[in-house]
Amino acid sequence: MPSSLQSPKISARGVDAFFGKVQALHNVSLDIPEHRVLAIIGPSGCGKSTFLRCLNRMHEVAGGSMRGEVFLDGEDIYKADPVSVRRKVGMVFQKPNPFPTMSIFDNVAVGLRLNGLAKKSELNDIVERSLQQAALWDEVKDQLDKSGVSLSGGQQQRLCIARTLAVNPRVVLMDEPASALDPLATAKIEELIHELKSAYTIVIVTHNMQQAARVSDSTAFFYLGKLIEHGETRKIFTNPEKKQTEEYITGRFG
Amino acid sequence: MPRHFEMELDQLRTMLIRMGSLVEEQIDCGVKSIIDGDESLSALVIERDKKVDEYDNAIDQQCMRIFALTQPVAVDLRLLMAALKINNELERIGDIAVNLAERVKALVPFRAFVKETRLSEMATAAREMVKAAIDSFVNNDPGLAKKVLTSDDVIDSIDRQMFELMVGKMKGSKDLIEPAVHVVILSRHLERLADHATNIAEDVIFLVNARIIKHNADEQI
Repeated sequence: MPSSLQSPKISARGVDAFFGKVQALHNVSLDIPEHRVLAIIGPSGCGKSTFLRCLNRMHEVAGGSMRGEVFLDGEDIYKADPVSVRRKVGMVFQKPNPFPTMSIFDNVAVGLRLNGLAKKSELNDIVERSLQQAALWDEVKDQLDKSGVSLSGGQQQRLCIARTLAVNPRVVLMDEPASALDPLATAKIEELIHELKSAYTIVIVTHNMQQAARVSDSTAFFYLGKLIEHGETRKIFTNPEKKQTEEYITGRFG
Repeated sequence: MPRHFEMELDQLRTMLIRMGSLVEEQIDCGVKSIIDGDESLSALVIERDKKVDEYDNAIDQQCMRIFALTQPVAVDLRLLMAALKINNELERIGDIAVNLAERVKALVPFRAFVKETRLSEMATAAREMVKAAIDSFVNNDPGLAKKVLTSDDVIDSIDRQMFELMVGKMKGSKDLIEPAVHVVILSRHLERLADHATNIAEDVIFLVNARIIKHNADEQI
């Protein structure tokens, strides 16, 4: 387990998740300290994306149900307003999904406008800051009026990250954020994750084991809806405790 | 699921095992050439070192290829790291066999003197350690590797005794300075053999148990 003594930023306690009667997660408990990157790995269908969606109440939007508790800064998010939870716990998806009818500027500003979070005078600053944090500002600063979908795939994904950051979340969830991108765009996203962890707490689901090893501080291995092992990334990738983890990361699974 | 990758790792292990038995033979021949004053045997050892060097290069290449193409992790990563290091130790052991062989000609006039020393006994003990270290790798046996670690003190102690004994001989007679210096150097070579065996044993413990024990660095990982 991570050796951090600080209280966790986000903490899952005994999480069970269901799709109808099918149980997708079994009693998962995990602590993620602030300013750390947790990577979740495991074969398809192991529950890693479901777990991610339990961390910002997206699972219930997808028609699922859950038992257990998830605390953000010690507060149970299932006793809070789901909209405010999703603002505090932002999400970036596998496929870049900028709003197609909106400009680059509006794509970043949309969350702030909808939530009434920023005065008009502040909006420009926040959009610029968010695009800078997402390492996209220099590439788009002269074309903020252009459509978000005019950008390349990698730029679109960074635009989506900027959109997530604009509402000033505490935690950023990323569900395979680079799996649709080429190696250069992937490298940019990975570098960005390193930069962002000084300000945010990040959870990333990835199928790419080397990516998990490169970007994360701790790694959790899920299999058949169960958390098999969670530990320091350098420990998991040099000397995992569990046989199943070793078989999975060395490609000897099944 | 049989995999191409497994074959690459098996090939690596096989090369290391073959190199291990080659250097064991090199030590045997190197020591025998000293004890028997056999110059043709020493020439064979020197010539055959090329083969050891070929293994050294081939194993480095194989490790580099696997690192670059497969990004190994966990037990596979530890095997590759251990393989690189064991390869290095085996190559050095091969060099020591050559060092022994290179001294044969100069020692021919002093065969009787050499036979009276504990060189033969020391060579046997060092040879046993090298064999046990290589066996511990072949059999993935950290228990045997630990035994190697405890044997090193015996060799060190003989080396020190030998040094004192030779200094005594040199003080006693100028005529004995030359053979005694040879014996001190040979003794030091054999002591180094034991050190390389110890390093291999430490690598095997790292490989199997993921524990770094050299320089008392345990628990850092």
